[in-house]
Amino acid sequence: MEARQAQEDIRLIKEMIEKTKKTAAKSGTYFILWTIIPILAILGMYILHHLKNYQWIWLNWVVFTTVGIIITVILLIRRESKENVKTYVQIAIFSIWKACGFAFILLGFIFPWVGLYSYQTISVMVSVIAGIGVYATGGITEWNLLKWCGALWWFGALLMVMVDYQYRTLLIIPLLVFGYLLPGIILNRNYRQKGVSDA
Amino acid sequence: MPEKELPQLNTVIHSRVRLAIMSILISSKEVDFTFLKKSTDTTDGNLSTHLSKLEEVGFIYIKKTFRGKKPLTTVLLTDKGKEAFREYVLTLEQILPKSH
Repeated sequence: MEARQAQEDIRLIKEMIEKTKKTAAKSGTYFILWTIIPILAILGMYILHHLKNYQWIWLNWVVFTTVGIIITVILLIRRESKENVKTYVQIAIFSIWKACGFAFILLGFIFPWVGLYSYQTISVMVSVIAGIGVYATGGITEWNLLKWCGALWWFGALLMVMVDYQYRTLLIIPLLVFGYLLPGIILNRNYRQKGVSDA
Repeated sequence: MPEKELPQLNTVIHSRVRLAIMSILISSKEVDFTFLKKSTDTTDGNLSTHLSKLEEVGFIYIKKTFRGKKPLTTVLLTDKGKEAFREYVLTLEQILPKSH
């Protein structure tokens, strides 16, 4: 076999691998969903705080998180039934976010509930985890914007440590907008250009 | 001085369509027939022939299920197929000039 033919084979291999990676489209719907859910929960929290119904703040977060999880699972099932390729990249990203999800529940609900630390620390913890998920996804997909978004979450976590606890949860909102919503919108725009929808 | 003998490529993989199939499968856990057909730019019959050849030697596993009421054919690379592909790429690298 000639070197020229070998080069052509290598070119074909690279082309097919790249095509597969690109075609396994990534949707930003989950980022958008998990921007809306926490913002609604934060809104609920501040309303309850204003009404001095502090005892329901925990339930507010549990309800919104549960609704978010249910919607996520439904979307995943619908996506699975339509996709015609399952790449290792997708499997890796799914594993990362599943791990982050369990970490969110442990750090955001279980540990404060058992008194390991005060609720004032929750937003710092979840920001760190969000940063891990976003950054790792950016690393796997080789998308620098996502890596920057991940770093933004960590920067936000640092800022939260420096501000008064009553402002910490509010800081999550700009982090959600720039660290989740922005990449989510970009991903969805690219996803829809491929002619796929979540419906 | 005798010429250095060039390494031999696996003849089953050494075909444009079958190499394309193996390349797609190496980066995916599983791929359906439609995706393979679109990516390799072949017909149903042509793709089926190539898949049969790969399945005969144990490089791929073809799974037939249903998605709702529609039949679904999914293809996966076996461990033997992964090893064969890895050796194929190594052989290609041996054939390429050192500067590459």
